[in-house]
Amino acid sequence: MPPRPQTDALRGSLDLLVLKTLSLTPMHGWGISQRVQQISKGVLEVNQGSLYPALQRLEKDGLVTSDWDTTDNNRRARYYRLTVTGRRALGVELENWRRFAAGLEAVLRVP
Amino acid sequence: MSWFHAVRARLSLLSRRATESRMDDEIRFHIEMETQRLVREEQLDPIEARRRAFVAFGGVQEHKETLREGRGTAWLGSVSLDLKLGFRMLVKYPGLTVIGGLAMAFGIWFGAVTFHMFGLLSNTSLPLPDGERIVRIMYWDTKTVQDADPVLYDFQRWRSARSLTDFGAYRDASVNLTGASGSAQPAAAAEVTASAFRIAPARPLLGRVLDESDERAGAPPVVLLGHDLWTRAFEADSRIVGKSVQLGNGFATVVGVMPEGYAFPTSHELWLPFRTDVPAMEPRSGAAISVFGRLADGMTLETAQAELTSFGQRMAAEHPATHTTLQPRVLPYAMMSVPTGDTLPVMALTYVFIVLLVVVVCSTVALLLFARAASRESEILVRSALGASRGRIVGQLFAEALVLAGVATAAGLLAAQLALKVWGQPYMEMNYGRLPFWWDFDLSPLTIGYALALAVIGAVVAGVMPARKITRGLGTRMRAGTAGGGVVSFGGVWTAVIVTQVALTVMFPAAVMLVRSESQRIASYDMGFATEQYLGVALGIQGPPEGSSSSGADTALTRRLTTSVEALRRRLEAEPGVAGVTFVDRLPGDYHVSRRLEVASLPGKPAHWVETARIDPNYFSVLRVPGGGRVFSAADLSPNARVVIVDQGFVDLVMSGRDPIGHQVRIGSGQAADSVPARWPLYQIVGMVKNLGMSHLVERSRSPGVYLPLVPGSLGAVNMIVQAQGDPLLIAPRVRELATAVDPALRVEQMTRLDQVATPLLWFLGLWIRIIIGLSAVALLLSLSGIYAVLSYAVARRTREIGVRVALGASGRRVITSIFKRPLIQVTLGVLAGILLIAGAAIAIQQTQQFAGMKGRGLTFGEIGLLVGYGVLMLGVCTLACVVPTVRALRVQPTEALRAE
Repeated sequence: MPPRPQTDALRGSLDLLVLKTLSLTPMHGWGISQRVQQISKGVLEVNQGSLYPALQRLEKDGLVTSDWDTTDNNRRARYYRLTVTGRRALGVELENWRRFAAGLEAVLRVP
Repeated sequence: MSWFHAVRARLSLLSRRATESRMDDEIRFHIEMETQRLVREEQLDPIEARRRAFVAFGGVQEHKETLREGRGTAWLGSVSLDLKLGFRMLVKYPGLTVIGGLAMAFGIWFGAVTFHMFGLLSNTSLPLPDGERIVRIMYWDTKTVQDADPVLYDFQRWRSARSLTDFGAYRDASVNLTGASGSAQPAAAAEVTASAFRIAPARPLLGRVLDESDERAGAPPVVLLGHDLWTRAFEADSRIVGKSVQLGNGFATVVGVMPEGYAFPTSHELWLPFRTDVPAMEPRSGAAISVFGRLADGMTLETAQAELTSFGQRMAAEHPATHTTLQPRVLPYAMMSVPTGDTLPVMALTYVFIVLLVVVVCSTVALLLFARAASRESEILVRSALGASRGRIVGQLFAEALVLAGVATAAGLLAAQLALKVWGQPYMEMNYGRLPFWWDFDLSPLTIGYALALAVIGAVVAGVMPARKITRGLGTRMRAGTAGGGVVSFGGVWTAVIVTQVALTVMFPAAVMLVRSESQRIASYDMGFATEQYLGVALGIQGPPEGSSSSGADTALTRRLTTSVEALRRRLEAEPGVAGVTFVDRLPGDYHVSRRLEVASLPGKPAHWVETARIDPNYFSVLRVPGGGRVFSAADLSPNARVVIVDQGFVDLVMSGRDPIGHQVRIGSGQAADSVPARWPLYQIVGMVKNLGMSHLVERSRSPGVYLPLVPGSLGAVNMIVQAQGDPLLIAPRVRELATAVDPALRVEQMTRLDQVATPLLWFLGLWIRIIIGLSAVALLLSLSGIYAVLSYAVARRTREIGVRVALGASGRRVITSIFKRPLIQVTLGVLAGILLIAGAAIAIQQTQQFAGMKGRGLTFGEIGLLVGYGVLMLGVCTLACVVPTVRALRVQPTEALRAE
């Protein structure tokens, strides 16, 4: 059976990844995709194009906010940062994810 | 604060251009950063790196669409596209744009003007500070079921009301103001309490406003002038304050001049102090006044009404003879009468009629848009095949109609503003005299909103109706592969639209003819003498308001008037250019006093209603009208000399052609209580003249007329008739000068050349003729274009069939018959419906009072013949629209028709 594409596994947890990444520091879209890949040591590769609709959705819901700023090499980029509500939502999503992972782990451990 | 970020994010997404630009910039940045990383980390060629960056990103356009959909504003883009297409359609189909636009603009224009005019009558907002808290208090009489004005006694009792502040009152007074030139002119004056200038505050241009000290007993007489009056009478003299001016037979000191436009309480131009602390006023005695006030802080209209109601109950208990049926009403100030139950239904009915008119007009425009859409059927099928839903296509066609309606609304509103200023304002002035200051003839936001609502309704009718028809069964037509030829047909609804449109086209010109014939009849009214030589002058005397003075004072005033008018007559008769002066209570062509009359010397004959006029003894000689018998002499002015002169109408209608001289008649007062002829006073007929305008201009039939002698001025205001030796209007200024010189209290109210008495009425009828001609033109244009559109579509749709018929040997006549049979039936039905409606209306009109003389007559053969001929004419006019499609059908070549398939 061919392996399931990584993007399918990520689709439900893209928001969580974005929120977690932004909780560390404000970042632009490309930076978010690179950070996720870097921290996961290449296991998680975010579909770069799908990132922006997710960021737009999170911004509409008030979980993140964005503004234009300048990068280290003087390039103009749109930076996203977590809002207070976003931080609270991250906590909730993390809790849900851990509960889901624990449940999945429990099922998989059964011989 | 998260809500703030969410709202801010949503609002920013609405700016389409900004978000598109942001999206492009972000994606561009991302691709460039990824490209740089690939060049740096994997040592790729820049072009290859860029390619790989795009691949890693995924479909850029696809992600952009996802972002656009995520904004939730994708529909905005499609709407703006549809509107742009709608504008392009306006340019591409100029004929439809002009015809449809004109028709819709007419409907919007009519609706906006009517809505605004009705709004003036029902508007309760005042352009004053805190205007919505300014109120008027009046009585509602439950016995007579109408308004009743309060008097000073009521004002004095109500003044203690706690729910109102700045309580005040005013009454109208017409005073003769002598200007700087020495000539006197009537001014619309108000005796008003000083609180009026707190209710309607304004900084005077000069001097001060009236205050409470001016109202005290014994205070020196003062007057406040309006801007226009000050300019007219005193040439805007900046030193007018402090000067003494003549008001009638008294004098007053000018204390100030109000700024331009100030007209509180209603439409006044001169203000006098109103003394309200008159002691011992009797209930319901004295002149009628108007009472106003401002709702106190924290009070509402309801609480004020409750308090005044309790006042009314207390006063009813104290004075049952006068106040039992009187109920105080607190109303918004701009409401000048207590609203009855009839007002709202009449207004609602009118607004519904306007909506129906717009629906009818736009139904015909829908016909044209349907024909246009039917010719684009293949385009619509392709759009549907590419995934456009039915709703999307209907939305597009609706947007096209909305654009047309929008352009029509702009034109209609511009025309409405012009009509209100040029026609609306003069029309209201003709009906109501001086207009209240809060009536504004500039289009209000509410009127504009109403016009926009009509436009949307019109666009729905004109756009959605045909769109739903054209998109019905799209899928079936696609599967049947019937693109281009079109199987869309004009069904029952369109038949009804064409028939209705043609019927209206037939009716409107008939209405024009009716109004025009009335206008011509009124213009040709024969007064019986050379009216162009005579000037009619309405004379009165300035005195205290009606009902406010004693009977002794009234008698003195009457005596003064008779003396003054006689002195004026003598002065005028000595003027060169004046050939004669006489007096009458009502001018020829005006309404006269109707009375009951019985010919005592012909017992058994029933009593008649007659029109009466009281005349100066030299009346007939000044009008140069000979007659039978004798005219009145000075001796006939004695109360005991009971003589009358009758006109030809009396001879024909009452005496049945008998010589009336010497007969005796009894004349009653005309009141319901005076119903016993035997008690009426007896008169003898001493003379007879021809008909001299005893019936009003609008009356179709002449009434019998009876003249009685009059001492000019003995019965109050009187009309003077001056015969001039040239244009009578040239002596008008001299008449005014002499009137002032004879008696400054003598009021010259109005001067009219007697051949121009009908001018205001004719202007009014002319206005209606212009409106109905406009309606007729629009209706005719719509009918012709609708018929043309239907027939053109039929020829286009059946080109192949025509080609086959001609190829098989069918004659031109057979081809035309088969194609045009249905449209011709529709037009014929419409013409018949219109003719029947005209006939029905003509019979109904006969039943009205106006046409009482023709009651129950029905239509004569001549009138029926006229109707039939008119119907044939209209049938011919409507079939003009068939000419071009007919020629096109006859030119169809079989080979070309079959090759085009």
